[in-house]
Amino acid sequence: MKPKEMKELEYNQSLERDILDALRNPRPIFWLAVLVCAGFFAIGMATWVYQMLKGMGVAGINNPVGWGVYITDFVFWVGIAHSGTLISAVLFLFRAKFRNVFNRSAEAMTVFAVMTAGLYPLIHLGRSWLFYWLFPYPNQRQLWVNFQSPLVWDVFAVSTYFTISAIFWYVGMVPDLAIVRRYASGIRKRIYSILSLGWTGSLRQWKHYSRLYMFLAAFATPLVISVHSVVSWDFAMSIVPGWHTTIFAPYFVAGAIFSGTAMVLTLVIPMMKIFRLEKYITVDHFDKIAKVLLFTSVIVTYSYIVEFALAFYGGHKFEEAHFLYRAIGDYRYLYWMMLFCNSLLPLTLFIRKLRRNILYLFILSLFVNVGMWLERFVIIVSSLAKDFDPYNWGVYVPKWPEVAITLGSFGMFFMFFLLFTKALPVLAITEIKEEAAE
Amino acid sequence: MKNKFSFDEKHKFLHKLEELVKSGVSTENINIFTPYPVHEAEEILKVKPSAVRLFTLIGALTGLLFGFFLTIWTSLDWPLIRGGKPIVAIPAFIIVAFELTILFGGVISFIGYLFLSRLPNVEKISEPEEHGNQFVIHIENEGKK
Repeated sequence: MKPKEMKELEYNQSLERDILDALRNPRPIFWLAVLVCAGFFAIGMATWVYQMLKGMGVAGINNPVGWGVYITDFVFWVGIAHSGTLISAVLFLFRAKFRNVFNRSAEAMTVFAVMTAGLYPLIHLGRSWLFYWLFPYPNQRQLWVNFQSPLVWDVFAVSTYFTISAIFWYVGMVPDLAIVRRYASGIRKRIYSILSLGWTGSLRQWKHYSRLYMFLAAFATPLVISVHSVVSWDFAMSIVPGWHTTIFAPYFVAGAIFSGTAMVLTLVIPMMKIFRLEKYITVDHFDKIAKVLLFTSVIVTYSYIVEFALAFYGGHKFEEAHFLYRAIGDYRYLYWMMLFCNSLLPLTLFIRKLRRNILYLFILSLFVNVGMWLERFVIIVSSLAKDFDPYNWGVYVPKWPEVAITLGSFGMFFMFFLLFTKALPVLAITEIKEEAAE
Repeated sequence: MKNKFSFDEKHKFLHKLEELVKSGVSTENINIFTPYPVHEAEEILKVKPSAVRLFTLIGALTGLLFGFFLTIWTSLDWPLIRGGKPIVAIPAFIIVAFELTILFGGVISFIGYLFLSRLPNVEKISEPEEHGNQFVIHIENEGKK
């Protein structure tokens, strides 16, 4: 990180300059990228309006497959969020220093991904405007929500997750916003002054700051595990073959961190190249993140094996039939593609050379993103397509509104991330300074 | 004697701080400003641990109790059997109580932090106080020593 011969002050100033340079003067290509993403977002939103006006019939979901692409997207985006918290909170508690260069963008990713995910239950509702019925509030009919329902747990888990992630992100950013304030002028100075709350860097502020940061990390760690466990229980609490299994919670949590780590790579590699941050985000950092990716990939693969083993060892006819269907049935291509992306391809990371090849990591991360989306699709759709009663079997194929809304959500996510890179410091400046001083 | 010192490097700053404390300057009169948290300085000045933890504890306990209160009370308010389970189904309610423990704990810690570190500071927002990358020691009420 810091060259030996460099004085602390010199290093800190050059660090500030490099990172604040990233905030300045967006090039036309940046605005073009924002425009493209905003375009997708707008198409997605317009499609949602169309779906509300026409009714849920425009989507492909129907009996027996009532949960399709929308729920797949929901699980996918919540999963993406998870590795942001892993990097910022869990690695903080473990004092893993390499997190410093990733944590700001990973936390931003978490907040935006949860925002995106939160839209899907509403899109899936059909009558989206009645979403507030999910909250326990005193009403004229004196009805309360059913706290035994996993869907209500979801409401509590996801809203808590969003709130805590946003606070965590903001608290860590206040000292850095004060640095941006120092360099800014005019209206920008006003805005950053307000955002940095009048931070001075006094002993008192740092003392309470360090404490709060640790507590928030300690809260976020069990929270991240609970959120995806609750999401997995949306499925595991039912009796549908392929869903009703106790391995679901750890299986989903590992998958979430796996997919999220891939998304961190997808976002951070171009960001590093465009803003020329190679000095700070080095190959060693990527090497370590690649190890996290490899580790979680192996856990996910193990879960795939256990799932099958449980089905065939459990002596449950429907479970057996279901897993055969998954491997050789209507959705077999998706299933084998998923295995290729999630289990086979990441094994190449055992080779050190490939772990340290940035371009390779970027391409691999795209494959993992696709693979993890497919995993959720396969789990959700194939289980519903063939459950107990043959009379009740069917095949689900998404229709165009589902595709358009999915693309729209990617547009929304990338648009927010692009705007973030130009509005807020992309690396945790004070943390890098602290590490360099040691 | 000067009452404001500023340094470019952490170790020089810590050295001076130690010297000042040894020379008998009351730690209460010393104000320091640093570009990142310096835990060694906290040890030298013997500052008390942050009271944020109190807010965290109270917030978390409130969330836990509220979680159980909300779920149990609403279930008893309209006692309808769902899925053949008991009206007060504790295992299911633990999940809601757990999430609310974290939600309340986190939010109240954050409020406590803002209160304890006197943020947002309106005066400093309109006229920011900058120390750049300097480690600053500021001694107040020098006469009283």
